[in-house]
Amino acid sequence: MRRLWQVLRLLWKAEPWAMWRGAALAVAVLIMGAALLGLSGWFITATGIAGLAGIGIAFDVFRPSAGVRFLALGRAAARYGERLLTHDATLRALARLRVTLLARLERFSMPELRRLRGAAALTRITADVDALDGVVLRLALPVAAALITHGAAFVALWALTSHAVAASVALGYLLGGGVVLWRVGRATLTPSSQAEEAMQTLRQRAIGMFRGRREAILQGALPRWRGALDDTEAEARGAMDRLDAIDTGAGMILAVIVALVTAAVFALAGWLVVDSGLDPARAAIGVFISIALAETLLPLRRGMAEIGRMRDAAERVMADPAPHRLPKRTGPAEPAQPGAALEVRHLSLARPGWTRLLLHDLSFTVMPGEMLAIRGESGAGKSTLFDVLAGLEPATAGEALLLGKPLPDWETVALRDALTLVPQRAALLSGSILENLALADPDLTEDKALTVLRAVALDEAVSARGGLRSQLGEGGAGLSGGQARRLVLARALLRRPAVLLLDEPTEGLDGPTARQVLSGVREFLPEAAIVTASHRAAELDAADRVLTLETYIPKNRYF
Amino acid sequence: MPKQAQGTLRRAALLSALAAALWPLQALALAWGIGGWVTEAAPQASLAAAGAFAVIGIVRAVADRIAARLAFHAADGVIHDLRQALLTREARRPGAAASSAALAAMLTEKLAILGPWITRYRPAMARTKLVPLLILALAFYVSWAVGVIFLVAGPLIPVFMALVGMAAKEASARQMVEIGDMNTLLIDRIAALPDILLLNAGDASRAAFEARAEGLRARTMAVLRVAFLSSTVLELFSAIGVALVAVYVGFSLLGEVNFGTWGTGLTLAEGVFLLLLAPEYFQPLRDLAAAWHDKAAAEAVADELDALEADETTPVLGQGARAEPLAGPASVALHGVSVRRGDQLLALPDLDVAPGESVALSGPSGTGKSTALDLIAGLLTPEEGQVTVAGQALACEIADAWRARVAYVPQSIHVPDMTLRRFLDPHELGADMDAALRKARAEGIVAALPEGLETVLGETGAGVSGGEARRLLLARAFLTGADVILADEPTADLDAANGAAIIDALAALAAEGCTVIVATHDPALSGAMGRIVTIGEGAT
Repeated sequence: MRRLWQVLRLLWKAEPWAMWRGAALAVAVLIMGAALLGLSGWFITATGIAGLAGIGIAFDVFRPSAGVRFLALGRAAARYGERLLTHDATLRALARLRVTLLARLERFSMPELRRLRGAAALTRITADVDALDGVVLRLALPVAAALITHGAAFVALWALTSHAVAASVALGYLLGGGVVLWRVGRATLTPSSQAEEAMQTLRQRAIGMFRGRREAILQGALPRWRGALDDTEAEARGAMDRLDAIDTGAGMILAVIVALVTAAVFALAGWLVVDSGLDPARAAIGVFISIALAETLLPLRRGMAEIGRMRDAAERVMADPAPHRLPKRTGPAEPAQPGAALEVRHLSLARPGWTRLLLHDLSFTVMPGEMLAIRGESGAGKSTLFDVLAGLEPATAGEALLLGKPLPDWETVALRDALTLVPQRAALLSGSILENLALADPDLTEDKALTVLRAVALDEAVSARGGLRSQLGEGGAGLSGGQARRLVLARALLRRPAVLLLDEPTEGLDGPTARQVLSGVREFLPEAAIVTASHRAAELDAADRVLTLETYIPKNRYF
Repeated sequence: MPKQAQGTLRRAALLSALAAALWPLQALALAWGIGGWVTEAAPQASLAAAGAFAVIGIVRAVADRIAARLAFHAADGVIHDLRQALLTREARRPGAAASSAALAAMLTEKLAILGPWITRYRPAMARTKLVPLLILALAFYVSWAVGVIFLVAGPLIPVFMALVGMAAKEASARQMVEIGDMNTLLIDRIAALPDILLLNAGDASRAAFEARAEGLRARTMAVLRVAFLSSTVLELFSAIGVALVAVYVGFSLLGEVNFGTWGTGLTLAEGVFLLLLAPEYFQPLRDLAAAWHDKAAAEAVADELDALEADETTPVLGQGARAEPLAGPASVALHGVSVRRGDQLLALPDLDVAPGESVALSGPSGTGKSTALDLIAGLLTPEEGQVTVAGQALACEIADAWRARVAYVPQSIHVPDMTLRRFLDPHELGADMDAALRKARAEGIVAALPEGLETVLGETGAGVSGGEARRLLLARAFLTGADVILADEPTADLDAANGAAIIDALAALAAEGCTVIVATHDPALSGAMGRIVTIGEGAT
């Protein structure tokens, strides 16, 4: 629950002034609605009495009927204002929530972030932030407005009718409604977690089955996979059914409470009219207001039924990242080779979480302006090696020195200024080409952008698409694979790092273009030490030296 | 929508409408009671009125609940049926265009969007058809003036419904796009977060996100300002209806207005009754307007479902179920076969493979080597011609039994999230793994995995390289006793050691008497096969 409060505070603070005004209008809507029915009831009953007594002429009809008209128009206007203000504030709050989420995710480790790229993980995040959208609009605001309205109704009923009527309404609604809603909130916690869990499992299993269906058909295992999926669906449906039973059950009990409170107030008012001479018109106010106050109670059910879902979403969205600092080490084993940009000494590494070594006793040095190609089969460990060199993963043994300083001694920001890694699956963003490039260099001018695009032989393709301001779709959609690859390279070049690690930089390019791009890269960054992970001829030819990983793969690996 | 769900839903809608129609009775009880206060009826009258009000209220609450549960079951049934149909259809169409993630999204959150449409919109529609008419009739019965007030609003109702419907539909569609955009934007940033961090661009990326979110907010609010206006008009009608009735009734009771009743003048009880009817006259309409969004969202999902169904990719032959291996020789033949590729027919050369023969299919890419393997495995149906396996025509009835004899090593392997043991022995036959792994030259791979045969593979588990996965599949061929081995470019993109291991394993399988058919460019592999068949250029 603590996290849910955190989310509420965060959302409220995004635009507190609009939220407060929205809340005030929400109260005004409820109070004016109750006042409209109460005043109308009083008016009719009072005119009925005056008519019967034959004193109709003396009755002041204008103030009450003006009041009725004012409340009718005022309520509609207040409702419009409330909806506008709260939606506006909520939209701001949603943006804030998402920015906060992004900032929190930035503190996660790289492997965790890479796992988030899967469709299932991303949908879960969106489902979670969507669930949190309701925290203010469906939960906090209606609850607060209902409480304030009941406070006001209590005072008004005490003054206009009798303390007994006021107390009956307040006790009936606040106690009865409060207990029901509280229990709904409690009762739905478990089934809403279960329903959500089962739905996510269903999604994952479905993705698994659709991706692997060829394999499942070949194995004759399709019915079994399907069976597991059907079980998960049954589980999800069961949990949803329990949720709906609780939710509609609560709706029923709330409706019964409204009926009982109104009936009780009615009987009480009737008794007071006969027994202590309460003015029937004033007694009618109590009855009508207790009918009108149903409007405070019934909408709360939805928010309360979602509280379990919101709580779980808040737990995940506001979760703290696992600590992932690389171990600090004291000084390098031997003095650094003077002038080397990157020096690797007796490095051994394994895939994260594995004990089996991928590479053993790897050593090499790259000088500024030099280009080294690392060759190896896919899965041999090139990408893991680059992760280690970029300070994302620890090495199993040995050390790597960047500009003469051991990697673990580098601060993250400084490290990323000195060394840029272009992974195999680098992603672009929706937005213009210029915006994508400007990520790497906030002071980017159009001239600079064109220069770097020329270096990666992308300038013509960009101008053919409509220039730097032409828009890309989600994930950079709209560019071909080779064009996207070159834009990612251009973005990395703008960082002007001392060491550039390129994982299969010319994947998807034909031979001549690949050669052109690689020479453009070297021309653009003549002083940089460049390391590529390659198996293509163009990349191997362009390098000053080639290092074959096969030599460093532990010999007992296969045979 | 299936018949049974349709029936349930009709009952739910009817019950919901009937429950709403109980309100006039409750109003009558209150009106009669309040009337009694003024005419100094017995004190028990109040109690009786209160009792009647409470009892009818409880009946109404219970009926509403039952209606809601019925509607939920109808919705649940509809969604379940659609889900099952989608699963049944798509599971056997590996060639269909929709991505796995898109299908999974349809299966989970998109089909769920149909729920609110069924549970909220349909009952609201039923109430709208019944309740206003009922209240109108009652109002006319008591006072024609109040009836006229309602009636004036009445013809406006369809007009407003249309207006509200149009405005709300457009607004919600646009708003959904905008809200969707905010999430798309977020997903985009999260997916690119590793790269953003490597570029030290966290702050810049968040600032850009904020700027775009602000733009979205401004545009969304412009739409909402209009959308809210239309529902405010509805609320205004409801409030003005109450106010007009209250003022008219008050003036009538005072005797200042002398028209509008059927000659007898209005009593207090009648006045209170009319006042209590007024808000309920407009309520169903307000519910309907609130549920309009659900309808628009459901229609969007229905459109997407139709689009999925329009994909005419044919399913694989057979059910993909486990079967007893087909009897007969391990022979394969393609005669006069052609397959559809877009608008064109691709003709494949005739092929006859005798039991125990090993054949390399070679030729430029795109000429149908992989297609031939898919045809032999029953994953594709030929447009023309005949695929013969084990001496029979390959048809739906025997496809599963035929595949029980086939081991297929595809070029890129989707490794599911399961333990290696389960992967190698899908039907848990408990055969001798060590021997099979040894024959496939794959025992070293298993030894190197962190937990050996119990290592979980796949996206969420440990990765094996492409070459390793192919060798594990060959080990499975030894294990399951398959005697027809199909392999698609098994040595492509591999280093020398991996490639040699695969050629050895395939040769070992051929030596054991298996029929081996490989599609390959690799001269080392084709050389190890008994015969080379060229597909494409130069082939007849």
